[in-house]
Amino acid sequence: MSETYISIDHLSKKYDKDFVLKDVNAVLHKGEILGFLGPSGAGKTTTIKILTGQLLPTSGTAEVLGIDCRKIDERIYEQIGIVTDSSGVYERMTVFDNLKYFARILNVPLKNIDPLLKRIGLYEHRKKPASKLSKGQTQRLILARALLHKPKVLFLDEPTSGLDPSTALEIHRILKELRDDGMAIFLTTHNMEEAAKLCGHVALLNEGVIVEYGTPEEICLKYNRIKKYRVQLTDGTKHVLLQSPETAGRISSWMNEDQIETLHTCEPTLETVFLEVTGRELQ
Amino acid sequence: MNIKPVHLRKLAAIIDVKGRALFSKNFIIMPVFSLGFTFLMQIIYEKASGGMAAMNAYALAMGMLMNVSMMGFYCTAASLAEEKEKNTLRTLMTSSVNGLEFFLGSLIPIVLMTEAVNVLCVFIVHMTMSPMQWAAYLAVTTAASVIASVIGMLLGIFSKNQVTASTLTTPVVLVFMMVPMFTGFSETLQKISMFFFTGIAFDAIANISNGLPAVDVKGIAVLAAEFIFSLILFLFLYRRNGFER
Repeated sequence: MSETYISIDHLSKKYDKDFVLKDVNAVLHKGEILGFLGPSGAGKTTTIKILTGQLLPTSGTAEVLGIDCRKIDERIYEQIGIVTDSSGVYERMTVFDNLKYFARILNVPLKNIDPLLKRIGLYEHRKKPASKLSKGQTQRLILARALLHKPKVLFLDEPTSGLDPSTALEIHRILKELRDDGMAIFLTTHNMEEAAKLCGHVALLNEGVIVEYGTPEEICLKYNRIKKYRVQLTDGTKHVLLQSPETAGRISSWMNEDQIETLHTCEPTLETVFLEVTGRELQ
Repeated sequence: MNIKPVHLRKLAAIIDVKGRALFSKNFIIMPVFSLGFTFLMQIIYEKASGGMAAMNAYALAMGMLMNVSMMGFYCTAASLAEEKEKNTLRTLMTSSVNGLEFFLGSLIPIVLMTEAVNVLCVFIVHMTMSPMQWAAYLAVTTAASVIASVIGMLLGIFSKNQVTASTLTTPVVLVFMMVPMFTGFSETLQKISMFFFTGIAFDAIANISNGLPAVDVKGIAVLAAEFIFSLILFLFLYRRNGFER
């Protein structure tokens, strides 16, 4: 088992009388992506704020890199990177100067900036003022700033929200590379496709409570109660068949006659699981 | 109270960026306006008095008041408010910068620029001072700049954006600037002014030009008390709210 970077144990947060997080448990290891998946107001951002020392929990414990979230001080920020919707850039400064400022603060050699800009795909915009960047480019600059000091843990709060599909795909590619390099990534999203594609484990969060936790495959299979197959034959006809000895016979005979164009199992998606468990839409 | 260490590397980076921001169009108007105001006062009083040295000192005192108020109160509050508005403050605070580093990094460039303008004002009004008078002038105006900046930081804590900063700062600027400016018209204002750090600094310039000690013991006590009070209030509010409510 690889090193544990984040452990969350019975974590709760209450504002006035209302719980926004209730008895949350999760673990994130080195080289993994953990997704907190839920609609707006589910408690995803609150979790990130607690884990990064910006909010205190009401009860329970959480440790980031072995440090209790109640005892976090600014030194932790030399080992973690944070990208949230409240991350800002200095608009009057160029892309390079934005990173240079944080490189000086985080004691990162300035020679590391250009390779990072190339990796993030912003090198050609390095002399552009941040105010002239598109939303996707600004998000990449924020990501670059969070990666500048090669953090062990990266917190991402809805990193692709509102971005065009190609920029989102580019960010997914970068996140996979970072994971493969050994970085632990805590990702919140309401995009189930993104979660299923990127995350080793996901927690489905609804009104502050984790309603399901596991790998995306485990969760989907758990709710795959009515097992179905979707078959398209070479003559163009489509069939949806329930699993049964009869269906097995039909599929077997189509196979023998080389009539099958495509054959799919029909497990539920994370979105349909979420809908089934909570009765709420994700988006 | 747990005092956080100040890393010179981080402090230098913040001072550099904050210092450059003071030359942006949002802020540079303040020192330029103060210099222009001093120049205007110099012309008006020179014409009115026929070139009396005391009037030069009066013009300098007016310019210094304008400068300390606009730079100290307004620029500090607006600078903090801008960081909040653009979400860069939170980014800084989650990039290993502590509150003390941000506080000092924000204050130092403003105090330096305020002092640079205060020095230029002396040349604008053609006032000649001995090295001792210069030392007294710099000491008193620096104290006033620091106090104004700490109060500006206090106002910044309550401002979520630059518009709010402007709204909150205006009455404070008016009170601290206008009361000493109009002491000549009202004895009551003169009495009140003696309890304002801006009033002490205003009188100090007249004393310096007359060859008297810049500030008496009471004046030093007022400066010290207002510095300590504003700092304690700032620390209290900072501990409750941080830089953001």
